[in-house]
Amino acid sequence: MVCVAADGRITMVNAQAERLFGYQREELEGQLVEVLVPGAAHSVHPQYRTTYMADPKPRPMGGGMQLSVCRRDGSIFPADISLAAIDTEEGILMTAAVRDVTSRQQAQEELERANRELESFAYSVSHDLRAPLRTLAGFSAALLDECADELGEAGRGYAGRIQSASEQMAKLIDDLLRLARMSKAEVNLQPVDLGAEVASIAAELQRDRPDRSVLFTIQQPVWVLADRSLIRTALQNLMENAWKFTSGRDDASIDFAAAPVTQQARVRCYVRDNGAGFDPAYVDKLFRPFQRLHSAREFPGTGVGLASVRQVVERHGGRVWAEGVVGGGATFYLTLQPADAL
Amino acid sequence: MSDWRVLLVEDNPDDEALTIRAFAKNDIHDKIVVARDGAEAVDYLRAIDSGETPPPALILLDLKLPKVGGLDVLHQIRAGQRTRLIPVVVLTTSVEPEDVLAGYDGGANAYVRKPVSFSDFVAAVRTIVTFWLSLVERPPAATAPALPGGQPAAHS
Repeated sequence: MVCVAADGRITMVNAQAERLFGYQREELEGQLVEVLVPGAAHSVHPQYRTTYMADPKPRPMGGGMQLSVCRRDGSIFPADISLAAIDTEEGILMTAAVRDVTSRQQAQEELERANRELESFAYSVSHDLRAPLRTLAGFSAALLDECADELGEAGRGYAGRIQSASEQMAKLIDDLLRLARMSKAEVNLQPVDLGAEVASIAAELQRDRPDRSVLFTIQQPVWVLADRSLIRTALQNLMENAWKFTSGRDDASIDFAAAPVTQQARVRCYVRDNGAGFDPAYVDKLFRPFQRLHSAREFPGTGVGLASVRQVVERHGGRVWAEGVVGGGATFYLTLQPADAL
Repeated sequence: MSDWRVLLVEDNPDDEALTIRAFAKNDIHDKIVVARDGAEAVDYLRAIDSGETPPPALILLDLKLPKVGGLDVLHQIRAGQRTRLIPVVVLTTSVEPEDVLAGYDGGANAYVRKPVSFSDFVAAVRTIVTFWLSLVERPPAATAPALPGGQPAAHS
């Protein structure tokens, strides 16, 4: 704590300030407060001080800027400074509470470095891990193609496994990268008709598999505030899941509907299917990356889809959860802001 | 235009073999010249510019190369009198937005990510070759200075 008079001279410091700045009390008292200000800000500081004295409301100093202060030995450290004024017999005194934030700044820098490292890791994953996968996929295909007879049936089976495993791993890497990118992506809110998005996804699914018969019941319009491309990715994942897990049924049906949640100014939507469902005992695992509740033999997948759904919905400040029973279908709920909340 | 060739700039021997195989799967044989790193590619470009070697109809360029990087090779292609109009398809692994942007900024005509699945790769090669070697109207040879001695030397 440092007290400063209207003329800028230090009138009082506490023991903590002595320790922080490395001065004895007598050395500071009577000095201009600029003795504690690093050289770069020396010339402008008296002006700031005068401005503050003209309207001495309690406030943090620097208006959000990173401040630094100067010790007796000339070393500089980052600080948070809160200003306030007290009326005394000798006039208004400015008090400055100074806090050393070196460790906070270091933590911040460390975090930034870790983020950069993660980014370059994701980058090399996309680049370096894919090259050997291409070799695996390419040459197992070549084996099947050119040496099919020599391989025999068992050998062809093995080569086929190498081929599909490498392609599966490529999908995994792509999904992971997408997940990583999504956590960084900017969220640009705009009114989006979820019903229209779901309908167009349904049409695409049906177009790719015209042989399948699925009854879609899609409520339209359902206006929410969302980032169109992010929320589309989430809906795509939910719809693809519903499509996949109803593949064993002749009477497959997929519903999309929404209802306002009145107390919370939220819209609750759901995607419901009558497919394979899941064991509700494992509901907590559903939204974690790489967690799968079905074998790859039954239903292929990477286990990243629902994790990215959660990522997207949470980035929108919403919530996602699921209900299901084995063999009795599944319902995935999400809450979002209604479009009229804009 | 039967006497055309493709310059493949690729340092990974597996990828080189797979690319040649993918061309073969499209019934295209003995058309690929390989530069195995950026420096080799630059030498090849110099030979084209000096008239020693006829220009390829298409360049497939990997970006991540030892010695001279793919973007530098691209720069060299665009700077050369006889190479500046050759279509360049970047064929690489990364789809990082910065890489894609750098590729187009450097003057690439297209940017394609190498697919992992070989059948997808065969299909990609078919699309690239069909588009650049038969569909598009290629820049007329007159825009590049004529080679000394008239016609480019025929290579088999």
